[in-house]
Amino acid sequence: MHLSHITKRFGTNVAVDDVSLAFAPGEIIGLVGENGAGKTTLMSIAAGELSADEGTIDDRTSAGIVHQHFLLVSEFTIAENLALAMWGRDPEAIIRDSGIALRDVHRRVADISVGEKAKLELIKAVARHPRFLILDEPTSVLAPAEARELFVVMRQLAANGTTVVFISHKIPEVLEVATRVVVMRRGRIVADGGRMTASELAEAMVERRVSVDESRRRAGGGTAGGPPALRSLSSPALRLELKDAGLAVHAGEIVAIIGVAGNGQSELATSLRDSLRGRVAHIPEDRARDGLIAEMTIAENIALAERRWQPRVAAQTAAALIERFDIRAQSPLQRAGSLSGGNQQKVILARELERKPEIIVAAEPSRGLDIEATRFVHDELRAAAARGAAILLITSDLDEAFALGDAIHVIYRGKLSDRLTPSEAAERAPQLMAGVGPRQSGVGA
Amino acid sequence: MSAGTPSGKLHIPISVSRIGIALMAATTAIAGLALCGIAFGRSPGELLAILASGSIGSSFALQGTLLKSVPLLLTGLSVAIAFRAGVWNIGGEGQFLIGALGAFLGARYGLIASLAAAVLAGAIWASIATAMRLWRNAPEVLTTILLNFIAIHLLGYAVNGPLQEASGKYPQSDAVPAGAALPLLGNLELHAGVVIAVLVAIAAWYLLYRTAEGLRLRATGFNRSAAKWAGVNVDAQLIRAMAISGAMAGLAGGIELLGVTHRLFERFAAGYGYAGIAVALLAQLHPLGTIASAFFFGALTTGAGELQRTAGISSMVATLAQAIVILAMIAFMRRSKASS
Repeated sequence: MHLSHITKRFGTNVAVDDVSLAFAPGEIIGLVGENGAGKTTLMSIAAGELSADEGTIDDRTSAGIVHQHFLLVSEFTIAENLALAMWGRDPEAIIRDSGIALRDVHRRVADISVGEKAKLELIKAVARHPRFLILDEPTSVLAPAEARELFVVMRQLAANGTTVVFISHKIPEVLEVATRVVVMRRGRIVADGGRMTASELAEAMVERRVSVDESRRRAGGGTAGGPPALRSLSSPALRLELKDAGLAVHAGEIVAIIGVAGNGQSELATSLRDSLRGRVAHIPEDRARDGLIAEMTIAENIALAERRWQPRVAAQTAAALIERFDIRAQSPLQRAGSLSGGNQQKVILARELERKPEIIVAAEPSRGLDIEATRFVHDELRAAAARGAAILLITSDLDEAFALGDAIHVIYRGKLSDRLTPSEAAERAPQLMAGVGPRQSGVGA
Repeated sequence: MSAGTPSGKLHIPISVSRIGIALMAATTAIAGLALCGIAFGRSPGELLAILASGSIGSSFALQGTLLKSVPLLLTGLSVAIAFRAGVWNIGGEGQFLIGALGAFLGARYGLIASLAAAVLAGAIWASIATAMRLWRNAPEVLTTILLNFIAIHLLGYAVNGPLQEASGKYPQSDAVPAGAALPLLGNLELHAGVVIAVLVAIAAWYLLYRTAEGLRLRATGFNRSAAKWAGVNVDAQLIRAMAISGAMAGLAGGIELLGVTHRLFERFAAGYGYAGIAVALLAQLHPLGTIASAFFFGALTTGAGELQRTAGISSMVATLAQAIVILAMIAFMRRSKASS
């Protein structure tokens, strides 16, 4: 397949600007760039889902695309969703052939975790044996072990002659799996090559040299004395046995909970949402579904948390927050649904942190965001902790947990491990997340 | 910095395209009606002339149209408020009847008490559906429509039994006391319910667009899950929206009793509750748009009455027009969504 001089505009915004790109069979291409760089648009054109304003595509082959946003029927089971995609084949066999692990096909999609939904989308795409497969941020909802599972599948597909395009923000993953890296910035290709170092890649992406070492530790953290702001809770209905695990988050402290998606993180966040009272901020895991009211304006979304609603005042407040949080929006009266994912997350952050919360429950706060936006989210969370907020960070991104967490718990099948220091966690987390190794003490009973 | 100037777009409450869609749907309905005339051997132009003169052609016709518009406006608002919160209240017909029943029972204590009883009765009737939702997750789309049938039979029983007129001749009640009747406006045939209905529409607009609770109500309707995560008490919004919705339909019934019929009888609601769905859809659930939309359907109803009298065409064509409006709205809204 061969793209030449592709240009695509949305209104006055040039999403893809005169891009030419050739793909060879068996390549794994890491397509990287910041939010809004034009990666998804370019690949939608390659897959034939969008038409280009200018340019031509030669030797078009059958393309499959796995979107960041899921195209699944929530009310159907996994098996039924697979039947929709490929009628007449045994769903268990489809899953087995794909090489991706997904258990119990009789569960409703509405009940499975985001990570499992991502796997299901992938299985659907792989099962069609496309010659050209595009994965849009597939690992953003996957835990490291699941991501490695995905890389194995990608390499298998490439070995069979499929061209795999892997859109990602995560530089280490791209370097690990891609045979060729293409960097986009503001609609153009700014780098294209086989071998690149992490810092070269990061530099190409953000136009300035950044350190990709995310593990800048926050000094201090946690007031020693005093009762914890957030203490353990139990919700037997969710099969969560957190009460005995001694989950406690003090003011000024960030406690991270890490684990493979689907081990009770969603249930934990939901039960915290329903049980915590007072000045509590929630950053929901499923941004597309739970983050913002897409049909309402930025100002309206931000004002949802306020006691009063006066359109003019709300617009001014929103304008100030747009400025402060560097949200790329034309106006506070822009519909929230028209913002890019990273900017939507910033609006959520702006709304939640404006409450001056005492407790923050942040689930996957930087999922799918680019380096700069991720750093912004992390800085805001650190600043909130410095102001005295108790923060519970639920994440499947280990780097994030180590970059932010003063203490770490591992969650596995709805059970929390003991409270670990970051260095203990670095050693023991892999086994705990996989449910192997030494028996966790003090949990479950 | 454009983001910092909030004054730019603030003064456009409804987008022009949305009004355009409504106008297209209304035009389609009228065109559909005019074409139907051919089936009756009349030219479309002649039909349109009768329709216009019978609905807005004279002061008398206009007053008739306004009288018909009042219950339509209130049931339309009732549907709009509930839909805005994401609740399918299609029980306007039943809430209208129960409201009228409440107004009748309250009438002996005067006009204000009677209207209050109508509001309360409608709200309670609608809240039965909410209670069933919260208790057993029963969908409103089923429970409200089933409550309609109960209300119809309850009214039928009342006017054949305990509330039947003293003479016992017809299945209808006695007239409400003169003191409870809605006063007429000046020397017109119009009762004060016209003013009440318009005030309710303005209040509904204020609630939805100028109060924090209205903001949360709309958020609940758009995306219940995201509203919950943003800290909105979704259950409270649903309970309140449904109660307000029922209260409006109940008020419509009360005003119809105290301003127009003065008596209860078996076919009292005459489809106002269901017509409210068409009114709300044409207005695209906007309270102020509902005023125009209710007037349009009111005019269609009185115009259709004139068609029946002078051209011998069944006034049922007004119902046909309602159906065309709903279908046209769905078609146009789909198209505009697809093209955007």
